[in-house]
Amino acid sequence: MNAVITGSGWVTPLTMGYVRNNNRFEMGAGKLPEITRKDVFEEPRPHFGRLDRYSRLGVSAIAFALKDAQLHRWTRKRPIGIIASTVHGCLETDIEYFNATMTDGGRLASPNLFAYTLPNSFLGEAAIFFGLTGTSFVINEPSPSGIWCLRMALIGIANGQFEKLVCGMCDLGRLPFSCESEETPGGALFFVIEKTPTRQHLVYGDLYLDNNGILRFDDDEIKSLPILAEKCLKAFSKRG
Amino acid sequence: MRDVWIADAVAITPFGESRRQLWQALLAGKSAIKPVWRFPVKNYHAGIASCIEDLASSGDRSMGHVLLQRLLQQLDPVSQDALLITATTKSGIDNLEKVCRGYPANIQDIMLSAIYEELHNDLNLKQHGINISASCASSTIAIAQGAAMIASSWTDAVLVCCMDLVTEFVFSGFSALQALSATPCRPFDRDRSGLSMGEGAAAVLLMSKERAKQEARPHLATILGWGAANDAGHITAPDKDGSGLQQAIIQAMAAAKCNAFDIAAISAHGTGTLYNDQMELKVFNHIFADHPLPIYSIKGAIGHTLGAAGGIETVVGIQTLLEKTAPPTIGFSNPEKGAEGRVLSEPVDISGNCLLATNSGFGGINAAIILGEGSVS
Repeated sequence: MNAVITGSGWVTPLTMGYVRNNNRFEMGAGKLPEITRKDVFEEPRPHFGRLDRYSRLGVSAIAFALKDAQLHRWTRKRPIGIIASTVHGCLETDIEYFNATMTDGGRLASPNLFAYTLPNSFLGEAAIFFGLTGTSFVINEPSPSGIWCLRMALIGIANGQFEKLVCGMCDLGRLPFSCESEETPGGALFFVIEKTPTRQHLVYGDLYLDNNGILRFDDDEIKSLPILAEKCLKAFSKRG
Repeated sequence: MRDVWIADAVAITPFGESRRQLWQALLAGKSAIKPVWRFPVKNYHAGIASCIEDLASSGDRSMGHVLLQRLLQQLDPVSQDALLITATTKSGIDNLEKVCRGYPANIQDIMLSAIYEELHNDLNLKQHGINISASCASSTIAIAQGAAMIASSWTDAVLVCCMDLVTEFVFSGFSALQALSATPCRPFDRDRSGLSMGEGAAAVLLMSKERAKQEARPHLATILGWGAANDAGHITAPDKDGSGLQQAIIQAMAAAKCNAFDIAAISAHGTGTLYNDQMELKVFNHIFADHPLPIYSIKGAIGHTLGAAGGIETVVGIQTLLEKTAPPTIGFSNPEKGAEGRVLSEPVDISGNCLLATNSGFGGINAAIILGEGSVS
């Protein structure tokens, strides 16, 4: 099972941007930036400011990845899918929603906030922003490596579910209560993956999944999404 | 591509803990939608839901933990090399309610991966898998992804388990959206006024035909095709033209290599909300314009079980094909335009070997699977 990578974008505590913009990539610990519409979109997007923090993070990284793959402009909806891996999902929004709901015995439940208490709501927002009509879902995997979303992407491509998709990870990081032995890093990192390299000049490299579940990018084994982002940056800088 | 069989299928619903109990209750026209006692409802637009009567949290654990233990008891033994895919929208969100209220609660149960981790450990599985969350299409997409893994020879056996609960968290949200019906929901009825919430769990064991034969497993059904698409239109409302659902069905039919006349019946999402039911009827009447096949929804009987809906409806779909009978749509009596002669309040005989099952959800997602009849008596 194989495909090519044509784009990658991210928002982390330390950096935001995409490969072709020569932005630095580093996951790192710390507080995530307050993302504004102007950081991500050139044109007005009034709805962007109303998104919860988790959705804004995910939509922004998807926007950067699509920009990197030159797929951010559209006039007709396109069958591009989205798979996102997350550990905590929208838990921060859940807490905000339920604390507000409890205040007055449920009378103050916010329908707008409730709409973002699903971990896949931001995929719907990204689909609306960019006209993406492919399959979209969120996965939670045992470790926060994001590797499973790449596996699902390649299996989906092999089955004809996808020709193109955006695939990556999104998490806000630290929880308001502790329940993990290992802290999940905050940030969002997405890739554009395509079945056939019709746009050869945009290809960073080949992604391959073997029957043992091992993922390779141009023959190097990939064990996490941040490593894959670094490989894409290296491939771009080599090409000059 | 390899054939994908369903080799085991169980569901825990308010009607009981077996497929047979659920099926008999549906045929008898029963509804489990009753007044909610689990949390105060006086400030909400409705006071009813379909709850499992004796389901309660155990110590600091979520009710979901108890529900999953019951699900495990119903499952035939699962090979340790099976890959597990779980599906849920809100996992053990009842424990988040406890945390917010300052009560003791196992925080791990709140996490989306909680049901995956619990089942993976209890079943002592060797392979790692995932949890899938795609709002009310979660388990339909989980089954589709599991089938894709087997069809493409990536693995031989996938266990799909799904679960969601009636909690104040979700109930308050649907109430705030004014989506709850004050009376038991009436899918596809002209007088419908919203949905009724429900809870339950299901497990579906998928296997390659070869592996199922090797393990002498029953052939309950075949997953013939699947598809999914996003409306890319609105975050909580379906596309009025049903473009995403239509696309999902077309993909599923193409994968199954079947045409409209091969489909014997449709297990619809049928929530009882104005927009969902209208959208579904529009799509079904377009694709099956010349084919007067029965359409049913089980949500008038067990409510909307959110991420578990597709799994439970698959279990019912298996029985529909095995018994050659489409169950009635409970609560339906006065047909909405487009439902006349297609949606029925009584069980009806079906002819044909394929069933289309669909679900749609927040975030604009739509999913469809096509089941083929099994070969067990």
